[in-house]
Amino acid sequence: MEYGVATAQERNPLEAEGAPAPEPPYDEMLTAHGQVRGHYAAFHQRIAALSQAEMSERQRTLERFFLLQGITFTVYGGESSTERIIPTDVLPRIIPAAEWARIETGLIQRLRALNMFLADIYGPQQILMDGIVPRELVLGAPSYRREMQNLYVPHQAYANVCGSDLIRQPDGEFAVLEDNLRVPSGVSYMLANREASRRTFPGSFREARVRAIDRYPDLLLSTLKSMAAEWRPNPQIVVLTPGVYNSAYYEHAYLARLMGCPLVEGRDLVVHDNMVYMRTTTGLRRIDVIYRRVDDDFIDPLTFRRDSGLGSAGLFNAYRAGNVVICNAPGTGVADDKAIYAYVPEIIRYYLGEDAILPNVETFLCREASHLSHVLANLDKLVVKAVGASGGYGMLVGPHATQKEREAFAEAVKADPANYIAQPTIQLSTAPCLVDGAIEPRHVDLRPFILSGEKIVVTPGALTRVALRKGSLVVNSSQGGGSKDTWVLEDEPAGAQP
Amino acid sequence: MMLARVADSLYWIGRYVERAEHMCRLSDVMLNASLDRNEAAGQVTRVVLAAVGDDETARSDDPYQLALALALDRDDPGSIASSIALARENARQVRDQITTETWERLNLIYLRMTAAEAANGFDEGAGAFLHDVIADLHLFKGAADATMSHGEGWGFLMLGVYLERAQLIGRLLQVCFGARRPLDDHMALMGVLRMSCALEPYLRRFTADVQPDKVLDFLLLDEEFPRSMRFCTARIEEYLRTAAHHAGGAAGPERLAGRLRARLQYADLAELHDAGGLITTVLDECADLHQSIYDTFVAYSLEMRLPA
Repeated sequence: MEYGVATAQERNPLEAEGAPAPEPPYDEMLTAHGQVRGHYAAFHQRIAALSQAEMSERQRTLERFFLLQGITFTVYGGESSTERIIPTDVLPRIIPAAEWARIETGLIQRLRALNMFLADIYGPQQILMDGIVPRELVLGAPSYRREMQNLYVPHQAYANVCGSDLIRQPDGEFAVLEDNLRVPSGVSYMLANREASRRTFPGSFREARVRAIDRYPDLLLSTLKSMAAEWRPNPQIVVLTPGVYNSAYYEHAYLARLMGCPLVEGRDLVVHDNMVYMRTTTGLRRIDVIYRRVDDDFIDPLTFRRDSGLGSAGLFNAYRAGNVVICNAPGTGVADDKAIYAYVPEIIRYYLGEDAILPNVETFLCREASHLSHVLANLDKLVVKAVGASGGYGMLVGPHATQKEREAFAEAVKADPANYIAQPTIQLSTAPCLVDGAIEPRHVDLRPFILSGEKIVVTPGALTRVALRKGSLVVNSSQGGGSKDTWVLEDEPAGAQP
Repeated sequence: MMLARVADSLYWIGRYVERAEHMCRLSDVMLNASLDRNEAAGQVTRVVLAAVGDDETARSDDPYQLALALALDRDDPGSIASSIALARENARQVRDQITTETWERLNLIYLRMTAAEAANGFDEGAGAFLHDVIADLHLFKGAADATMSHGEGWGFLMLGVYLERAQLIGRLLQVCFGARRPLDDHMALMGVLRMSCALEPYLRRFTADVQPDKVLDFLLLDEEFPRSMRFCTARIEEYLRTAAHHAGGAAGPERLAGRLRARLQYADLAELHDAGGLITTVLDECADLHQSIYDTFVAYSLEMRLPA
């Protein structure tokens, strides 16, 4: 094996000094003894044969592809503005077939239960009456939308598009770190990374028998269609974007283009008589399904935030009247709330009578006194997160924080304990990445995308997010994270070892 | 059927790329003329400044500085770099409506024009730099032609191209031939033909006998040359029909476009006492047509279109 810089053991200096070491992270390519895992063997052999210059050349090919496609964000400064690409690593992360099969069934189980949970809390609220989830936790959450109460949602599919964040724990088991049921993004990067890796490693790609993900736009379209199928066989579907200045605009345009649906903005929409129309060159055209990439708060100034110009006045009433379907349904955020998260295994058991296939990460709810004292006493070992925040904001990574930061955070937690949860610092697994021409391990997570309409389907691929800074555990793109392609293999190569 | 906003953006992409291409030629001809120390150089510079509307406000009379500003000054909304940035921004807004091949071409030009090295590139060889931009813009149009469906959206894109071209050439002719004393210097007239990319086609029709009335005739009324105003107005009428076809016709703009086309189709320079007057009329009608297209397809009032 050669990571060049350090072997799996050497990467843990604490261990050598006899200090109580955290468990070393699981490495996607190498076993703890430095042997290449079976599903990485062929790829490892290929990259080992490449010179540093050849590797860097491939990285440049990839970056050029992203730049040309306009998968960029603009950095404004002084005289001119420049286009930067989203940091992307050229080396794919590889997942063997058997591991994927487990992930897939686990994700389907989880989303099924979460959709049932949403149908229940926006309906009879049986789970609250049975005391499985505290009533105030649900009804008091800012993401709970009482406007959704008793509203008919076809197939009980509230979260039509879900992007869950999975991590691999030191023992090699995948666990769910977070569910994203609101307007999850990143799927265009999954598809673009694939496009790029087919160009950068065509030989390995063919040889590895990677499962195709190209059908995602088509599956998304069928999912959206199924939401209107009961009343309209051939619905007019649109993608609603906040506009060109949104950081995910590329993705909105990409999905609209690949589904062949118009990409609309709030200013293109007109609501009249509880019907939604778009302004076309030939007059007004009725819309049946809106795949909205605008947050709940902004979709309708009459129902939600009054200062929003991103949505359309009257949209929610048209939805309530059953004249249009909004996907994802408003109010799904209550089921991916960081405090509700702790109850998901219970939720799965309650609705499906099954144990969760994908475990949660151990979570302490500061709203409970015993948990709070544990959290405050162990701030240096825990990751503390604000319940309402996302994207890596409003969180404290205990072991990496200074004493002063920890004290300040402790005050904030004590002032509003219900707003915080804590989890042990998890050693995300590492995967080989190209850093300055050399191959080094970096921490990664996994965001697969699950679609639910008439059926629930998981695309056999994912966005692997990478913490590109050495030692960093934060993979969010807003905090110096990047991404890489994820290869889900068709089957195990002969003679492979797990 | 397409979104009104999308039609508007496609139309403006057409206008901006055409404007950028025209400005490249003006700059290139001006720089080239400035290499010769003669009367024509000064005339050409004045023609260019008047054609871009800068004759009053020009900050410099050094052709190189003028050309540099015209090419790369992002603070000037009329510069080549600004036009390309605006075309690209519009393309980004309708990214789902244009093919990847078309987008890549435009994005590439944008990345080159706005790169930090662009000023160096211009410095090392302004002629070659401008020549490359023009060639890239031709590639963009070629990619669009070869890969986009020639339907409604294409109609709006090409409407933008030809309406802008008619107005740019019209403005150039107005500057050269609308004044009391028309341009008559041989070298300056050659410059005007080059600015319109018309030198070689002109020579094939009229030989090297370059006369003001023949240059005017060619750029205003030639039936086949793609930058003559007559040719442009014929295309405008045609693409308006393509665009309006889906709307079940659009009486307002179609009438204006038909009249404009007929005005140039049946004009005869020999009978005409006031060429400047005709050019002005045509430019005014182009502006009316622009407004009419916008009012009919994009900014129509909702009350008229709501379902009963």
